[in-house]
Amino acid sequence: MIRFSGLTKRYGPLTAVRDLTLSVGEGEVYALLGPNGAGKTTALRCLATLLAPSSGSASVDGIDVREDPVAVRRRLAFLAASMGLYERLSARELIAYFGRLHGIPEAVLGPRVEEMIELFGIGGFADRMCSRLSTGQRQRVSLARALVHDPPALILDEPTLGLDMLSGQTIYDFIATERERGKAILFSTHQMYEVDLLATRVGVLRGGSLVEEGSPADLVARTGEVNLARAFYHLITEPQEVAR
Amino acid sequence: MSAWRVVCAKELRETLRDRRTLLMMVVVPVLLYPVLLIVMEQLFLFGIRNLEAEAAPVAVVGDAPADLLAILEADSAVELVEIETDPERAVRDDVVSAVAILASEPGTDGTREVTLLFDAASDRSNRGGAELRSALREWRDSILAARLDTRALPRSFAEPIAVADSSIALPEEVGGYALGRFLPLLLVVITLLGAFYPAIDLAAGEKERGTLETLLTAPVPARDIVTGKFVTVALIGIIAAALNLTSMILTFQTGALQLTSTIGLVVSLPVTSVLVIFLTLVPLAVLFGAIFLGIAVGSSSFKEAQSALTPVYMGVLVPAMLPAFPGIDFGPLLALLPVAGVSFLFRDLMTGQASFGLGCLVLGSTTIYAGLALVFAARAFGSERVLFGGGDESGEVSRAGLLARIFGHREGRKVPLPGESMLLVAMVAVLFFWAGIQIQIRLGEPGVIVSQLLVLLLPAVLFVRLGGFDPVRTLSLRRPDATSVVGGVVLMLGAIPLVWVLGWLQTFVLPVPWELLEGMQDLITADSAARLGWLLLMLAVTPAICEEAVFRGVLLGGTRGLTPWRMVVLNGVVFGTFHLSTETVIRFLPSATLGMVIAWAVWRTGSLFVGILMHFLNNGSIVVVASSTTLQDLFSDPGAPPPFWLLPIAAVLFGAGIHILLRREVPEEIRPLTLAHET
Repeated sequence: MIRFSGLTKRYGPLTAVRDLTLSVGEGEVYALLGPNGAGKTTALRCLATLLAPSSGSASVDGIDVREDPVAVRRRLAFLAASMGLYERLSARELIAYFGRLHGIPEAVLGPRVEEMIELFGIGGFADRMCSRLSTGQRQRVSLARALVHDPPALILDEPTLGLDMLSGQTIYDFIATERERGKAILFSTHQMYEVDLLATRVGVLRGGSLVEEGSPADLVARTGEVNLARAFYHLITEPQEVAR
Repeated sequence: MSAWRVVCAKELRETLRDRRTLLMMVVVPVLLYPVLLIVMEQLFLFGIRNLEAEAAPVAVVGDAPADLLAILEADSAVELVEIETDPERAVRDDVVSAVAILASEPGTDGTREVTLLFDAASDRSNRGGAELRSALREWRDSILAARLDTRALPRSFAEPIAVADSSIALPEEVGGYALGRFLPLLLVVITLLGAFYPAIDLAAGEKERGTLETLLTAPVPARDIVTGKFVTVALIGIIAAALNLTSMILTFQTGALQLTSTIGLVVSLPVTSVLVIFLTLVPLAVLFGAIFLGIAVGSSSFKEAQSALTPVYMGVLVPAMLPAFPGIDFGPLLALLPVAGVSFLFRDLMTGQASFGLGCLVLGSTTIYAGLALVFAARAFGSERVLFGGGDESGEVSRAGLLARIFGHREGRKVPLPGESMLLVAMVAVLFFWAGIQIQIRLGEPGVIVSQLLVLLLPAVLFVRLGGFDPVRTLSLRRPDATSVVGGVVLMLGAIPLVWVLGWLQTFVLPVPWELLEGMQDLITADSAARLGWLLLMLAVTPAICEEAVFRGVLLGGTRGLTPWRMVVLNGVVFGTFHLSTETVIRFLPSATLGMVIAWAVWRTGSLFVGILMHFLNNGSIVVVASSTTLQDLFSDPGAPPPFWLLPIAAVLFGAGIHILLRREVPEEIRPLTLAHET
C-alpha cells in the first residue's frame, strides 16, 4: 500500500533522506524511528506530497506521489506533529470542512461528520471553537479531521507528542482498530513503548539513511540488546560512516 | 461546490469571526472614521472660536498718533495694552500677541515705517498680528483718504486698477479639488489595510498555527487553495474600501461636517464618479491581496509577515501620495505607474476632470499588475521552499535571522542569498545618500573618489569577507578571455547611442532639469589633457570599479538563483534606482537599461572585469564628448535628437555584441543554481 523506492530528498547541498526503500502493506503498522534530524518528517512529508523527492519515488496504492499527488492525497490521512487546527472554527465545522475538501457530497457529509464525532468522542465539545479545546481534545479532532474520508493509508508524525497517558491511549486504541480494519499505517515516534505495543515492523533512520529494519523482536535480537530502547540506542550510536 | 469555493467560504467565515479584521473592515470606516472626522472638526472649530472669543492684547511702541489709537480702541477684537519691556520679550512672554513698532516720523518720501512684531509659531500671536495688521491698514487708508481730500482728488486716484477674483470652477469642483488632495491617499491606504491583516492571517498565520501542512494534504490542487484564499483577501479589501468610500461620501455630502459649509466647500461627487472609483478599487484590492499573500506565505509567523510586508506598505504610500503634490500632471506614464495611476484617477474623478483614455489605462494596467501579482502568489504557494523553508535537514522553516544566516549559519553556501545581497545594496544606498554626499560636499572633486571607495567598494569587500563568501564566485572575479572583452566592448559601443535615444525619447514625457544638466556639463568638461585625465579617473575609472563591485558583483552574485532574465532585469532596476536623485527621475531609465546590458554581459562572460570595462566606456565617452569641441557640436545637446546616421551603426554593433557573447558558453559555476528540490 505504501512504498518508498530509493527515495532521496536534498535541500541544496544537504541530503535529508538518502536512498530510502521500505514498504508498508495492508493491516501493517510500520514505526519509523530515528533521532531528531534523521529525516523522518522529511520522508513522511514526501509521501504526503508536501515535498517533492529529489530522486527515487514514493507511492500510495501504486500511485506515484509525483505523477498524481491529488490522487495520493485522496488515499491517505496525514496527521502532522503540529496538530494545527483552525482556531475560529468549531470541531464540527472543521471536520466538515475537510470532508468537503475531500469531495464528500453534502448529502453524505452530515452523517459522516456525526459518525466521526461519535467515533472519537467529540460530542461534548463538537460546537466549541477549536481555540478553546484542550490538547487531548485537539488530538481527537485532528484524528477525526484526518480520517473523515476513510482512506486506506495513514501517516502519523509523532501522533502522541505532548499528550497525557489517557489521550495517548485513545491514539493507541485508534491505531489498533485501524490496523484491524486493514489500513496501512506508517508512523514516526520517539516512544519505544508504543512501538512495542503497536508496530509490526520498525525502520531506523540515521543521517537520512535506513540503517536497520525488521520486527521489534528482530531488532533486539540483531543488536544483542535487552530491549527495543537499548537496541535503538545501539543502532543510532554505533560508529559508522555516514556520508553527508 | 468547487474546492476554491470551499476554501473561500471557510476563510470568509473564519475572517468574519476575527475581531481584528472586523475592526479594520467595518468599525473604522463605518463608525470611527466619520466620528473622528467630526470630533476633529469640532475641536478645530472650538479652538478657532476660543481664540476669537478673547480680545487679542496688542501694543504700539513709538509715537502713536491719536487716530491709530482711536482705531485700536474702537476695535473689540483687540485690547490695547502698554508694555514697558523689550517688545520682542513681551511677545515671547505672551504679555501681548503682537506689537506695532512705529518709526518716530515719516521719511522724506512721506512713508512712515511700521514693523509688526509677532510670533509666527503661535496661533494666539498669529491672530493678534492679523488683527493689528488690519487696524494698521485702516489707519493707512484713513491717512491716504485725508491726503487725497487735501489735494481734491477722488479715492479712485489711489486705486487705478481694481482686481476682482472670479474662479470659473463650480463650488463642487473646488470641493472635489480640495478632497482630491488627500482622499485618494486615504482610499488607497484603507484598501491596503483591508487586505493587509487577512493576507497575513490566511498565509503566515496558517503556517504559524500549523494548519497549512494539514491543508496541503487535502486532495485539492495548490491553485484552488491560493484562489480561495486570494478571493477572500480581495473581497475583504474591496468591502473595506467600499465601506470607506460610502462612509466618506456620506460624511461630506450630508453636511455632517460644519467646516465644509463654514468655508463654503461643496462636496458632491457624481454617481458615475463613485462607480468608477469603486470599479478601480477592485483591481487595486486584487493587486494588494495577491502581493500580500505571496509575500506573507514566505513568512513563518504573523510577526515575521508584518515585518516583511511593512516595506511594501511604505512603498505604496509614495505613489499614493503623488496627487497631493502640486504641479504633477496626470499623463499616460503616471497612469501606468502602479498605485500612482489609481490615486491620480481618484483625484481627477473627484475634481470632475477624469479622462476616459487615462481611466482605461489605469484600469487596464492595474488589472495586469494584479494578474501578475496573482501568478506570483500562486507560485509562492506552489513552492515547497517558500512553504516549508528548505535550508535545514528536517525541512522545518528556518527561524534564523538574516544577519545570523549571513555570518553564522551559511549552510555551506559560497554566494549570498538574494535578500542578503539586496540588503547590502540597500545599506550602501542609504550610506551613499547620507555619508557619500557629505564627503563629496566637504572634499569637493576628490570626495567623489573617496566616497565611491569608502561607501561602495569597501562595504562590498567587507560583505564578502565577513560573510565568508567565495570572492571569486560572488564577485565574478575571473580573467576574461579575448572573446568576452571584444563582445563586451562591441555591445557597449552599440548600447551607448541606443540608450541615448531612450533618454531623448523620455524627455517627451518627463520634465528635463536643464539647470542640473548644465551644472553637470561644467563638471564633466575638461579644458586640458591633465584635467581630462583627472575627470576620467574620477568619473569613469572609479565608478566603473566601485559600482560594478556592488551591482554586478555582490548583487548579481547573490541573485543567481533567479532565472537569467529576472536576474538581469532586477539588476538594472536596482542600478537605475540607485541613480535616482531628489531633483529628477530622468536618469532612471538610461541607467537601468545600461545596468541590464552590463549585467547580461557579466553573466554571459562570468567576469566582472568585462562589466568594469563597459561601465568605463560609457562614463568615459560622456567625459570625452563633453570635453571635445568637435564631438560636442555633434552630441552634447541633451534636448536634441541623436544623429540618425548613428542609429543603424549602433544597432549593428549592439547585435554583433550580443552575437559574440552568445557564441560562448556561460561558465558552469555562473549558471543559475538549480536547487534539487525545485522539481
